[in-house]
Amino acid sequence: MNPIAIGVFIVIALLTLGSGIMVVTVRNIIHSALWLIASFIGVAALYLLMEAEFLAVVQILVYAGAVSILVLFAIMLTRQVTGEGVRVVFERWWVALLIALGLFGVIVPTLWKHGATWEEAAKLAQVGPTPVDGAANSLQVATATEIGRSFMGEYLLPFEVVSVLLLMALIGAVVIAYEERTRRRRVLTLAEELALKKRGIVEPRDAEGAVVPREAEGKVILLDSEQA
Amino acid sequence: MADALTQLGFASWLSVLIASIIKVTLILVGGSVGMMFLTWYERRSISYMQDRRGPNRVGPQGLLQPISEAIKTMTKEDATPRDADKIVHFLAPVVMLGATVLSFAVIPWGRMFPVDLNAAVLFVIATGGLHSIGMMMAGWGSNNKFALLGGMRGVAQLISYEIPQVMAIIPVVLMTGSMSLQKIVEAQNDFAGLGWYVFSPVGLLGFALFFTASLAEGERTPFDIPEADSEIIAGYMTEYSGMKFAVFYLSNYMSNLAVCFVTATLYLGGGNGPGVDALGGIAGGLLSLVYFLLKSFALFFVMVLIRATVPRLRVDQLMSFAWKFLLPLVLVNILSASFWVALLRWDQQWPQLTEWFGAPSTADATNWGRLAIAIVLTLLINAGAVALIMRLTNRNVQKHLYTTDEELALGLS
Repeated sequence: MNPIAIGVFIVIALLTLGSGIMVVTVRNIIHSALWLIASFIGVAALYLLMEAEFLAVVQILVYAGAVSILVLFAIMLTRQVTGEGVRVVFERWWVALLIALGLFGVIVPTLWKHGATWEEAAKLAQVGPTPVDGAANSLQVATATEIGRSFMGEYLLPFEVVSVLLLMALIGAVVIAYEERTRRRRVLTLAEELALKKRGIVEPRDAEGAVVPREAEGKVILLDSEQA
Repeated sequence: MADALTQLGFASWLSVLIASIIKVTLILVGGSVGMMFLTWYERRSISYMQDRRGPNRVGPQGLLQPISEAIKTMTKEDATPRDADKIVHFLAPVVMLGATVLSFAVIPWGRMFPVDLNAAVLFVIATGGLHSIGMMMAGWGSNNKFALLGGMRGVAQLISYEIPQVMAIIPVVLMTGSMSLQKIVEAQNDFAGLGWYVFSPVGLLGFALFFTASLAEGERTPFDIPEADSEIIAGYMTEYSGMKFAVFYLSNYMSNLAVCFVTATLYLGGGNGPGVDALGGIAGGLLSLVYFLLKSFALFFVMVLIRATVPRLRVDQLMSFAWKFLLPLVLVNILSASFWVALLRWDQQWPQLTEWFGAPSTADATNWGRLAIAIVLTLLINAGAVALIMRLTNRNVQKHLYTTDEELALGLS
C-alpha cells in the first residue's frame, strides 16, 4: 500500500474518531448531532478509500442525508430549540460502556479472522472481483453488482428478515399516525368560530374542559357567505 | 488528460494532480459562470412572460447584470445576529455550496466525463441530500423563528421528495444495467443517437416524475415552500445577508443547473444526437457538448415556464402530492420497467435467466415484435396507473375543498 494512501487513511480516521469523540462530549445536543454527521461523512470517505464507491455513496445518502436529519428533527420537535446545557453523560454510562466493549469484542476478532491485509486487498483491487459463485475467497470488492448478487443469493435470508423488520416499522408508523389523527381536530379560524357561535353551536367539551373531537372527520363547516 | 501530461514528461502523481486541478477549476468556473448566465436568462424570459422587459441596461441586452449584482452583494454588510450560533450560521452556506459543487463532479459534459463513478447516479442524489443538512443548520443557527420554520419545512420537503426522485431513477438503471452515467449515456445511443429513454413509455413517465421531484429538490416554484417569501420572509435565508446570501443563491441556481444536466443525461440521451458518431473525435465531442447544453437549457426553460404559470402549493398539498401521487406512480413505473427489460433484453441483463429458460429465439438484432409488445404493455400499465391515480386524486380534491384533518396530519405539523 502506498504511503500517500496510508497518510490519507490516517488523516481521515483521526478526523472521524475526533468527531465521534465530539459527539459524546459536546454539551449542546444539536452540535452533537452535527458532529455525528461529520463522523458519518468520515466513514464514507474511508469506504471511498477502500474503493467501495457504492457503499460510500449509500452511507452518505442514508446516514448523513436521512438518518441524521431525522435525529435533528426529533431533537428539534421534542426539546427546547436552543438545546443548551444538555447532560450528555448519564448515570448509567457503564451500561453503554459494556455494550460498546462487547461490540468491539465481536468486531475485532471477526476482522482478524476474515479480514484481508492491505496487500491482499490491493492485489484484489488490481485483479478485479472474483465471481461470487466461487465463494472460496471471502473478499469481494464491494461493487453494487456484487452486493446485489450476494443479497439475492448467499444472504437472502438476512435480507428478507431485514425487509420484514422495515415492514413492521412502516406498519407501526401508520398505526401511530392513525391514533394521532383520531385525537386531533382542526383548529378553526376566527371567522369559523364566530360562524359557529352565531348559529348557536357550542363545542362539546369533556369534564376537563378539552374539546371533544367531532365525529365526522374532515367535515367542512360552511360559512354563511359560502352557503349562497 | 493525466496520460497526456505524463507523456509530456511530468511525474505520474504530478500529472494526476495537475489534471485534477484543471478539472476542478473548470467545473467551478463553468458552474458559477453558468449560474450567472442562468439568473439573467430566467429573469429575461420570465419578464417576457409577464409582459415586461427585465434587466436590459447593463451591457448588451443586460448580459452584464449578474456581474453588477455580484459586486453589489459582495460589498454589502455581512451581518450575523447577536444570538445566533456563529459557527453553525457561518458553515451553513458553505455546506450547501459544497454539496452542490460535489454533484458536478460526476455530471458528463457531452462526451467528457470529469469522473466516471460506478455509482454516479446515486452520488448525485446523495449530494442533493446533503442540502438538507445545510438548510437545517441555517434554520437553526440563525436563532430566528421564521428561519427555523423555513428550515424545517424545507428539510421535510427535501426528504419527502428524495424518495420518488431516487425511485424514478430505478427504471433507467434497470434498462441500462449500470449506475454509471457514462454507461447510461452510451446505452441511449441506438437509432442514430436518438434512442433516448424519454421515447419509451417507461422513460417518459420516469422523466416526468423525476423532473417534478427534482423541481421540489431544487426548491423551484411551485415547490418553493422553504423560502415562500409571502409566508415566512425568506425561510432559512432570513438572517443572511451580503456574501453569505449570495452563496445560498449561487448554490440554489447551481443545483437547478445540476438537475437540468442530470435529467438531460438520464432521459434525453446526454450528449447523444444525430451526427455525433459520424463526426467522431474532437468535433464529435464538441457537437455532443452543444447537444447536451441545448437539452439542459431547454429543460431550464421549462422550469421558468412552470415558475411563471403554476402557483405555489400549500405545505399539506405538497406532502400529499409526494406521497399519494408521485410515489405510487413511481412504483408502477418500476414494475413496467421490469416488464420492459424482461421482454427486450433478458439475455443481456440476466444471463442466469437464459440458463434456466434457454436463450431467447432471436438474440442478435433488435427484435421489432418484442419491442412492439413491450411498448404496448408498458404504455397500457403506465397510462392506466396515471389515469387511475389522477381520478382518485381529483375525487379526493372535490371531497375536501378545505383543509381537512387528514391532510393536516399528513402535512408537517
